[in-house]
Amino acid sequence: MKNKKHESYKDLIWMLAITDFKLRYQNSVLGYIWALLQPLMMFAILNFVFSSIFAPNGEIEYYALKLITSLMLFTFFADGTTAGLRSLVAKSQLVTKIYVPRWTIILASSLNALMIFLTNLVIIIGFFAWYKVLPTISAITMSFVFIVVLYLLILGFSFFTATLFVKFRDLEKIWNVVIPAMMYSAPIIYPLELLPEEYHKYILLNPLAFIAHFNKEALINNHFATVSQYITFFTIVIVFFGLSIWSYNKQSRKIAEYI
Amino acid sequence: MSKKTKKKKKLEEKNTIIRVENVSKFFRVPHQKIDSLRGMFVSVFSKKTYEEFVALEDISFDIKKGEFVGIIGKNGSGKSTLLKILAGVYMPDSGKVVINGRISPFLELGIGFNPELSGRDNIYLNATILGLNRREINEKFDKIVEFSEIGRFIDQKVKNYSSGMQSKLAFSVAIHANREILLMDEVLAVGDVAFQKKCLNIFENYKNQGKTVVLVSHAIDTVEKYCDKVVYLSNSKIKKIGSSKEVCDEFLRDNLTKEQLKEMKQNEGNCI
Repeated sequence: MKNKKHESYKDLIWMLAITDFKLRYQNSVLGYIWALLQPLMMFAILNFVFSSIFAPNGEIEYYALKLITSLMLFTFFADGTTAGLRSLVAKSQLVTKIYVPRWTIILASSLNALMIFLTNLVIIIGFFAWYKVLPTISAITMSFVFIVVLYLLILGFSFFTATLFVKFRDLEKIWNVVIPAMMYSAPIIYPLELLPEEYHKYILLNPLAFIAHFNKEALINNHFATVSQYITFFTIVIVFFGLSIWSYNKQSRKIAEYI
Repeated sequence: MSKKTKKKKKLEEKNTIIRVENVSKFFRVPHQKIDSLRGMFVSVFSKKTYEEFVALEDISFDIKKGEFVGIIGKNGSGKSTLLKILAGVYMPDSGKVVINGRISPFLELGIGFNPELSGRDNIYLNATILGLNRREINEKFDKIVEFSEIGRFIDQKVKNYSSGMQSKLAFSVAIHANREILLMDEVLAVGDVAFQKKCLNIFENYKNQGKTVVLVSHAIDTVEKYCDKVVYLSNSKIKKIGSSKEVCDEFLRDNLTKEQLKEMKQNEGNCI
């Protein structure tokens, strides 16, 4: 009995995620191209501005490749967290008119973001092929781990904010301002080396900055973080994820009354 | 855990499928609603005052397997809150609800319907939300389409359907997606006359299938006709609980004027 119930949640989560995915692409080929164009245009603008107008210290090797790799990860984070924050309010019918566990709705939203990211992965692969850079197996493995961790960060953030957004509707506006702040505080459009070395360790405390920096370092320069850096990184991620689950459990009980 | 299973067994022996024990529900209505972080910071030093609104007070009753139970009462008497607690949407503030079976709540039809999707996709989406798995939907799909009378429009986007077609489709999914216990909030009849007739037939069939139905409705004649037992809520409390004829009569006496009652007596037999 209990097992069967679990399986029906699996169907539900999958159905919610795939429906949103379908709606995004509207069942058309052109819809998919539009979805790819959005991050590409963003890349084109940033690439033009920072490699032609503001080119710091002349050419940075593989600037475009580093930019697109980090930018795609950041787009995943920005879109995933925004959708996660809205998830419960956007599907309020599922909260007030029927009982489904609220985490299924949040999980579905993050899975939808993951699917979009995986389809956009084509772009990154295309860029690596264009620049004829072949990452090592360990670099690709590391990149895969980073994607999983980034997904968990999005999921944790969604658990944290989706329930709060029900009560505090200005959270979305605040988040919309925080997102660009996060983008510029992480080494996405600039290399970490551009900053004075004594600040590196503080910047890398931000898991997003850590992922952005070491992902491109691994894939392009085959350079990895030290063990102690990994330990700090994973500790922060685990604590954050734990806090988000705790907050969700605390907040989700009475949600139907506030939504 | 073992205590819990023991209790469940005990309930099964008595054939009780839903047990509501001393359930109360309050809503806090703040005098100044804070729905933003900004508002929270602004009012952090001011005293928060609110009124406590009692939606349900000390409600207890049992529902046996196969029973049809009606919940009646005036607007604001707590009917829908009670149904939402049974459905698991609200948590009771005190007391408890034990449910011994799987519930299909129909507080609203077509939950999750998306106008941009085809009728086919919406059937799968809605039925999944109602708790069916893919295999079950595949089995019932043809029946659902047939009952809804949508026919060849099934692959069209739902936004192109008339509102009657939309509710027929939603209703059709609902009646095919049911479990042992059905909770209904005024969703008995939709569509044209012929379709309504079909719906009522289905409803009567539930009796033969041994399903348990909890029905919230303002249509007293429907409640009186189909329900075995009626719970009459008044001012958040149970005013009367018992056989449907007895309770419905009392409800009508309480709420209608003499003229209206007289009129109703004359019309008796004319209604469905």
